[in-house]
Amino acid sequence: MASLILSPAEQDYIIRGVESGFRADGRGSLDRREVSLRTGMISQANGSARCRIGNLGVGTDVLVGVKAEVNSWTPGEAEDVGSIVCNVECSPSAAQEFEGRGAEEINVELTQLLDRILNGPQSGLDLKKLCIIPKQAYWVLHIDALVLDVKGSIIDTLVWATRAALMSTSLPRVVVETIGDEMGNMQAEFDVVDDPEDLTPLEGAENLPISVTFSQIGKRYVVDASEQEEAVTQARLTVAVSPAMEICAIQKGGMLRGFPPSLLTEILETAQRIAREELTRFKTHYDNAKSHFTSQADEPSTGSTFLVQF
Amino acid sequence: MEIDEAPQKVDIAARIVTPGTAITNDPAFMRGHGTFSEHDTIYSSVAGVVERINKLVSVRPLKQRYSGEIGDIIVGRITEVASKRWRVDVNSRQDGVLLLSSINLPGGIQRRKSESDELQMRTFFAEGDLVFAEVQSYFADGALSLHTRSIQYGKLRNGTLVTAFPQLVPRSRSHFHTLPCGVDVVLGVNGYIWVSKHVPASKVEANAELIYSDKNEPISDDEREVIARVANCIQLLNRMYVKITDTSIIFAYDASVAHPVKDLLKHDVAVELAHNVMAYLEQQG
Repeated sequence: MASLILSPAEQDYIIRGVESGFRADGRGSLDRREVSLRTGMISQANGSARCRIGNLGVGTDVLVGVKAEVNSWTPGEAEDVGSIVCNVECSPSAAQEFEGRGAEEINVELTQLLDRILNGPQSGLDLKKLCIIPKQAYWVLHIDALVLDVKGSIIDTLVWATRAALMSTSLPRVVVETIGDEMGNMQAEFDVVDDPEDLTPLEGAENLPISVTFSQIGKRYVVDASEQEEAVTQARLTVAVSPAMEICAIQKGGMLRGFPPSLLTEILETAQRIAREELTRFKTHYDNAKSHFTSQADEPSTGSTFLVQF
Repeated sequence: MEIDEAPQKVDIAARIVTPGTAITNDPAFMRGHGTFSEHDTIYSSVAGVVERINKLVSVRPLKQRYSGEIGDIIVGRITEVASKRWRVDVNSRQDGVLLLSSINLPGGIQRRKSESDELQMRTFFAEGDLVFAEVQSYFADGALSLHTRSIQYGKLRNGTLVTAFPQLVPRSRSHFHTLPCGVDVVLGVNGYIWVSKHVPASKVEANAELIYSDKNEPISDDEREVIARVANCIQLLNRMYVKITDTSIIFAYDASVAHPVKDLLKHDVAVELAHNVMAYLEQQG
């Protein structure tokens, strides 16, 4: 994904390291880096989160905002569902190759991936709940992600941040009334309650899947690849797994070579195991972020807390 | 902005500022690097620490690019092969240049480089290769001219690169260290640090072909672990803003042995180790 060019000696060092199960930074093939997560950082949005995967304050950094809007139904659209619109943008300050039009391709790739994970029946979100009045009005959730820094594993960071943003999303309450007009026809009308206190959390967000991205390097694979490892990745596979341990999306990318079928089966099994660990880790971080958001003033400040905060 | 109210009383130095912070409005001061003046007030133009030498006020940035000096030992990455020269990324404002005439040919043959040498430049250095070089001179536009005319300079292999802040790597007598743990470290003054398996110099001297070889020596898992530990130690020193020298690396390495390599970059462990190193360095003076 990155434009980093490594020397043949460095490539060989990384590949052999992965094959012997000992990566350049000392991690094993399935070890992940540290995560920082914060929610509710954009006050104008209905839900927001920022996630960084990486150690000591350097890593891939993604900011996600969710904005809910009421849309009126137009003929041809599905009758009783809301919709989710994703948009991922890679900031030119994240990496040199994103400057100018350089980020276009990766923006489209990530937007499609996010859309595929969220906009289907497997996403866990009940889109019917986003419908206000069938054939009349529905909620549109605009999910806008901004990639602020790239140090490998951009997809997993994006999914973490999006999941946290949607979990922290709450929609204004909507009152639906049925009134009859002069002709005696019954007509439904709705009113969005304009009270910042009167909000309902988005239903089903905790059922959203988490993603695990595998990078094939040499004859083996790793999760949470670093920038250098991505430069020697021959094939990439993202597996999204729901909290019910169901695989709900798979996407291949950066294919310079195919996956051998035996490796693929092994990866899918590993994905479920790692997803279970990741979901627990996500929950801890999310709960932390939530309590941090409410009691920011109590946070003790030490000389190096800036490394974990944003 | 207490400074503005009582400029004479407060020492303006040793203060951390961000771009746009007013440093002083006392007309007695002159503005130096990292500052600009507007309406008779001196503002900081970078994030860093205010320094004052007599009446000259400057701001030393926390983060800066490498600015080369002749004689510096650096590590660079080839970005482009051009006519009779390579362009080298040296973590500076512009790429450095390595002229074909400033490299040693395999076997130490001394002769003028011919057209056939020019055609096979990629067999010496190709894009992406890491070079260990010395700054020979400046070009008119300020770009650095490098040379690798010594047996210890040349292509780097058998290890991994760590990128650090250039201001943390002080210039010293020696930049090539063989640590007691059996790892070679090249401390590039430009902040690029090469950590590799120890290969005796005699081996390279005996086989001239090795200077431009892309092949790694066999590296065992134990050697990998030691290299990774040293690399992570340098990484954590860098992030905690501690000077990176052979002493600080060796001390951090010894202090880190209690932890598994993969935990070294975890926040709590890194903070603890870095504080130990800082205390040790202070004690050493």
